Amino acid sequence: MMKRKWGMAIDLDKCTGCGACQIACMQENNLPIFEDDSDILKRVTFLELMTVTNDTDADAKYGEVKVAYIPKMCQQCEGDPAEPRPPCVSVCLVAATDVGDDGVVSQIWSRCIGCRYCMAACPYQARVFNWWKPRFEGDFKQGLNPDVSIASRGTVVKCTFCSHIWKRERDRLIAQGITDINAVEYTPACVAACPTGAIVFGDLNDPLSEVSQLAKDPRAFRLMHPIDDKDESRKKDMHRYGRFPNPKVYYLTSQSWIRDLMRFT
Amino acid sequence: MKKIDRRDFLKVAGGAVVGGGAGFVLSGAPFDAFQWVVEWTQDQVVPSPGEERFITGICHACPNKCAIRVRMIDDRAVKIETENKGCSMGQALVQWFYHPERVKYPLKRVGKKGSGKFAPVKWDEAIQDITTSFNKLRKEGKADSLAAITNPHTMRSTLLLERLLRAAGSPHLYTESCMCNLSRAAVKHLYNLDGALCYDLENADYILSFSARLLEGWGQPYSMHKAFLNWKKTDAKLVQVDTLCSRTASLANEWIPLKPGTELTLALGIAYHLLRKGKTSRGTGFADWSQMVFNYYTPDNVSKITGVPIETISRIAGEFAEAKRPLAVAGRGGTGISSSAAEIIAIQTLNDLVESTGKTGGVSIKLFSTLGDPPADDIARASLEKATRSKGLDDFIASEIDPGILIINEANPVHRSTHGKKLVEKMQRTPLVISLSTLINDTAHYSDYILPTLTALERIGESAPVTRSQSLCAGEIILKIARGIEGVADAFPWSSRAEIDFPEEELITPRTRAYSADIFKEHLKQISAQQEQKEYPLALIPFEVPAIGDGVGLAFPYVLKSIDGKIFSYDKLWVHMHPETAEKDGLSEGSKIDLISKRGEIGSVRVHLTKLVAPGVVAVPLGFGHTSYTKYGSDKGVNPKEIMTADIDPISGTADWWLTRIQIS
Repeated sequence: MMKRKWGMAIDLDKCTGCGACQIACMQENNLPIFEDDSDILKRVTFLELMTVTNDTDADAKYGEVKVAYIPKMCQQCEGDPAEPRPPCVSVCLVAATDVGDDGVVSQIWSRCIGCRYCMAACPYQARVFNWWKPRFEGDFKQGLNPDVSIASRGTVVKCTFCSHIWKRERDRLIAQGITDINAVEYTPACVAACPTGAIVFGDLNDPLSEVSQLAKDPRAFRLMHPIDDKDESRKKDMHRYGRFPNPKVYYLTSQSWIRDLMRFT
Repeated sequence: MKKIDRRDFLKVAGGAVVGGGAGFVLSGAPFDAFQWVVEWTQDQVVPSPGEERFITGICHACPNKCAIRVRMIDDRAVKIETENKGCSMGQALVQWFYHPERVKYPLKRVGKKGSGKFAPVKWDEAIQDITTSFNKLRKEGKADSLAAITNPHTMRSTLLLERLLRAAGSPHLYTESCMCNLSRAAVKHLYNLDGALCYDLENADYILSFSARLLEGWGQPYSMHKAFLNWKKTDAKLVQVDTLCSRTASLANEWIPLKPGTELTLALGIAYHLLRKGKTSRGTGFADWSQMVFNYYTPDNVSKITGVPIETISRIAGEFAEAKRPLAVAGRGGTGISSSAAEIIAIQTLNDLVESTGKTGGVSIKLFSTLGDPPADDIARASLEKATRSKGLDDFIASEIDPGILIINEANPVHRSTHGKKLVEKMQRTPLVISLSTLINDTAHYSDYILPTLTALERIGESAPVTRSQSLCAGEIILKIARGIEGVADAFPWSSRAEIDFPEEELITPRTRAYSADIFKEHLKQISAQQEQKEYPLALIPFEVPAIGDGVGLAFPYVLKSIDGKIFSYDKLWVHMHPETAEKDGLSEGSKIDLISKRGEIGSVRVHLTKLVAPGVVAVPLGFGHTSYTKYGSDKGVNPKEIMTADIDPISGTADWWLTRIQIS
């Protein structure tokens, strides 16, 4: 039985917006190259480095406004913790997406029929549709990772917390004779690439892990999650009836404007 | 035995057909077949599996030299593991290595110059042809018309290139604009040393940055990230002076917005307060210099010019004077740096006044080293005597010197220099242009020979991955050429790069300094003339985009995919403007405009309205608008360098393009 629940904490005070996480993600997950990747609505990225500023505030003034970068990937929603059901999973007709007992929301490209219900259901626009056939010209094919299949045209794809790396690490342990799946630890590509260590990954079920500690930090918040201020029992009720996404990605900031902007309160 | 009648036979046969059919369906074979049909009809790529292994090495893409691990599947490199070091470029190494448009063989021009038509030739043939031209040029007594332009990051091949030119008899080696060579002129002026300013940013506790976008590719990305984390630990204060609210300004403890291009004025305004506080410096001309500051850079005056309140200037000066390890940082920009030498001198003077020069957390001088004086023959000696070196790259491009042979070492001055168009004309007139490059960039496009060099991934160490191409390390190519030139070969006794003893970096503290008030006297007049230009009412200020820098990243599809939609989308470049500025011209979000300066016009670009930009300023991303940089990087947006100020700084010989007055239409 899997005892872990993978989660992520991203410290925006440390994020310089260098973009290393984004490119590491694309390289690790064989993301498709299209004819025109400046078509921002139709290009495929798992991790988007969002630029956010507070300059649309009514009283915003040059000299006082600020800008920040928010790496946004699949937030791995849980929904009601008593009965995990992410918004995308409950609408999928063909079980192409599901939530594992380690909390990771999976996506099987080859099973997807491209109805895009999950894209409509996703509160974070973390899912993308392959509008075209990927073009890996010439030697670009040589750089492809054999652990991730290339999605064909007409399917929906998304970040899976690099679960193929988890499998890689599991196989490595099995080769060493360790068969306990809870002994497997791994690091997704974006986390390993971050030059300031702003992204932390780990087990949310382990109260001593760095990510659990950060999730409880007073600077922590979650994207578009207004019920985080409520007390525990109220939250429990609201989860049962209210269908809140309850994501497993936490963001940390000491700047109140980012928190207010991204929580939609 | 019972006879099998017709009915039984049909039953058995029917059963066999049904059973076989069910077995076939349940075996999964039809699904496999269907999958195969799907893959075949969609022409899908399936990455080939193989044995996984890791190789370790050092990334030589910049002087930071990060340790990296490469994940290999058989002989294919599939991922770079940087273990929380490195930078975004490090992640793009795989795409650079496997780029379908890599130059795989030496290429010789076959069409008209600039037509982009090349044909592969053998290495021996190419080297033979090149060395013959070198020998001919030297015999004709035109050795001084040899010239080379190099990239500031290629340290070792630059040393070899310099030795090659000097042994052949030419002083014309120029480096593309970077903090190193801009501060070289300032260091020469201030300390009479041949070196560059080297900031110990990691250990400083009060960092006053004059538009140096420290966290946006400035200097060496990884050491800047390390310094940034250290500042957080030690509670150091970062004060960012900048016209735009850049990423660095947002992450800084304090952002001081100022009017475009007035960094020098603000630095001297702070010097005024430091002098008032009794800070002083030993050095010739200091009395005159401080008198000049007292006379012209009074708080009122400085505040009027820079737009920074009088109290802020005096508070910053006070904090700077009282900090334990204060450091003032010059070098406007991220990857592409543009500052006048006078500005670097003014900012460096602040470090001198608070005695940060030569201390931990301060600034020291990194001496430029060479491989020693090469033996020179009569031709070289005679030619070196008559040749005069230009002050810098732009000075050289604008000069009358027409090179006989021009070598471009991994550089792209046609795109990066504001004098790029002039350089194209010069290259058209040059009989032999040799480019050492991995990809055909805007400059290599106009070459006669393109010699393929190695990407950073192929240079990580002995076990580095290899391609089947005939690329060679730039240093080896230069050795090959040098050994074929009569009278120069003696200066290169090495058979390979490995035998060469490259000099170590040397940091020193300057002992003497000379202050000159003259270079600042004209400055105030120039600034007010600039600010009062009616015809060109707006100021163009550049900014850089993550992973693209000043254009290098644009060839890699994964970098293209990472660009923000308000910078480049649907094949259009966006410029950023304050809503008030846009309103005056009747512009709204997404309007298409052209940018016009004294030098020309570029367009069209779209307008994004944001209050991160000062009123009266148009912020334009750098690195776009390549005319030739693989199919991925070409014809994407516009290159603002085409219209940016090309006035050459008299001390550094490089164009100071930071601020350009423009109008829009």
